[in-house]
Amino acid sequence: MSRSTARPRRKLNQYVVVLVGLALLGGLYTALAPRTTAQEEPQQGSSDQSLAVKAGRDLYLQGCSTCHGLNLQGGAGGPSLIGVGEASVVFQVESGRMPLANGTVQAPRKDPKYTIAQVDQLAAYIQANGGGPTLPEGSLTDGDLQEGGELFRLNCASCHNFAGSGGALTYGKYAPELAPASARVIYSAMQSGPESMPRFGDGQLSVEEKKAITYYVRYITTATQPGGNDLGKYGPVPEGLVMWLAGIGGLVVMTLWIGNRA
Amino acid sequence: MSTPDDPTANATPTTSTGGQQPTSTPHGGQTAAEASPSIRERLRNPGVQSSGGDTRGSDLTAGDFRQTDSRSELHAHGRDERQLSQSTPPVEQPIDRQVDAFELGRQARAERVVAALFLLSLLGTIGFVLVYFLWDFAFDDPDHVLYTPLLGITMALALTGIGAGAVVWAKNLMDDEETTQERYPFGSSPEDRAATGTALKAGLAETQLPRRKLLRNTLLLSGGALAVLPVPFLFGLGPYQNKEAKLATTGWQPGVRLIRKNGSPVNRDDLTLGAVESVFPDVPRGTKLADSAALLIRMRPEDLTVREGREDWSLDGYVCYSAICTHLGCPVKLYEQQTHNLLCPCHQSTFSADNAAEVIFGPAARPLPQLAISVDDEGYFIARGDFSEPVGPSYWERTS
Repeated sequence: MSRSTARPRRKLNQYVVVLVGLALLGGLYTALAPRTTAQEEPQQGSSDQSLAVKAGRDLYLQGCSTCHGLNLQGGAGGPSLIGVGEASVVFQVESGRMPLANGTVQAPRKDPKYTIAQVDQLAAYIQANGGGPTLPEGSLTDGDLQEGGELFRLNCASCHNFAGSGGALTYGKYAPELAPASARVIYSAMQSGPESMPRFGDGQLSVEEKKAITYYVRYITTATQPGGNDLGKYGPVPEGLVMWLAGIGGLVVMTLWIGNRA
Repeated sequence: MSTPDDPTANATPTTSTGGQQPTSTPHGGQTAAEASPSIRERLRNPGVQSSGGDTRGSDLTAGDFRQTDSRSELHAHGRDERQLSQSTPPVEQPIDRQVDAFELGRQARAERVVAALFLLSLLGTIGFVLVYFLWDFAFDDPDHVLYTPLLGITMALALTGIGAGAVVWAKNLMDDEETTQERYPFGSSPEDRAATGTALKAGLAETQLPRRKLLRNTLLLSGGALAVLPVPFLFGLGPYQNKEAKLATTGWQPGVRLIRKNGSPVNRDDLTLGAVESVFPDVPRGTKLADSAALLIRMRPEDLTVREGREDWSLDGYVCYSAICTHLGCPVKLYEQQTHNLLCPCHQSTFSADNAAEVIFGPAARPLPQLAISVDDEGYFIARGDFSEPVGPSYWERTS
């Protein structure tokens, strides 16, 4: 081999060594350097959303992680929250059922511990980790009131009473009264199916139908009662009781008065 | 007091004691009708004091106790016979309300109360009319919540004002003498009875029935045959075989789709885990058939205990039961998705939806009938046949 051909080859070898070294260095850096956290992936969306997720994570770690685990995996006290979705968070937290005060057969409705904004942040955090049922955009109390009433009586009234007054289930469980529930809580309950309640997915009741039901429930629980006292809207039992005690009792008193001598 | 033309007086003609002057003669057989004067009599002779009260079954005489007014008479009714016979006769105390100053004041007060109650009724009527015509009522306006209750209250004032006034009036101002109204003798007078009998006999003679034997016999024959006419109605109540078929079958048939109340078929992808759907058979008037209502439930397939012989009745955790309680026929639609309990709201019968709807609590004696389901080519649920057994409460002709 001539020298003239040997020199360029040596030079080429040097380049290759440098390139391999650089590649190794880069690979090592990408392998060993601190990775960005998975939670920051939704940064592709709006920055508001990522801020909400971050704030929700802080709220979660502070208030919920004791029972539900630092990574939503669940624990001794609470179930895993991966995949429950924002609907579940809105229902449980906005109605005050979570955080749970003490273990009972069913989580009771309480004064909410978080503001609506904080509920949204928590919901964003849970939704960002595993997804799940969501709430639709726009007003939730919308649609055909009459259709909402039909669907309510068909799907909801068997447990929650025809006027949303609630009712008893088995072994101490109960279907709660619907009057204190906000539209978001009503919709998210249908969407997530909390505790004993069946879940009504979008394939069974469309978004429009669920909005109509929510509208109807808000309507009957907030409408005025021009007929006077509704006696809890429990139907014929309390009404009959009042008639027997007050009505017939009053008649007996009147009869005694008329029959008595002056 | 008996009068000569009183029929009861004819029965015991010698016991006409009258109420004017009670005698001291023992008088055991006296009847109530004779002892106390009739209301008409009293009205006619207001000064006459009544004699003793009902002495039936007692050996008291009317003169044993002389009463001045019906109040003491009523008082005497309250005692038993022994006490009556031992008690001394009450002293005669005529009450003349007109001279009693206290009584006069009381009556004046009562009069004012009555007038006030009548005026209250007037106020109620005016209020009702004013509320009805002047209040521009709008349903569902929070400002108008009092509209209907106000109508009710004013109407109640208008009615009870007059009623209560009348009662106070009657109790405080009117004479409160107890009177007895005699019952009129039953039956028509002998003259009427005789006249009716004559007319009937004349009518019979007019028909010539006693003479015309042919008419009489054919009439008896056709009338007797008429008695057979209701017999076919008895057959209309049976036969039991049809009844059994009617009670034991529903609208579900093999291949019939499961539809919702609005008529849309249920796809196998429609329900999420833990969902329930009220379903009806896709036959004419299917959603109106009272015995065919069913509940389609979706649970995790591993949660479902499949009975032997029912392996192909459910599908991927989808299971369908009759929604009619086997106790008294209430709708069983209270489903708890965590415990898979199906609860009847009427008497708390609880069925285990994950275990062939076995009864786990309550008065129901039999599990809910299960509907075998499958899916058709388009993925919609279809029934594989009718229910496994008759739906609803037990009945006598039940075979299962």
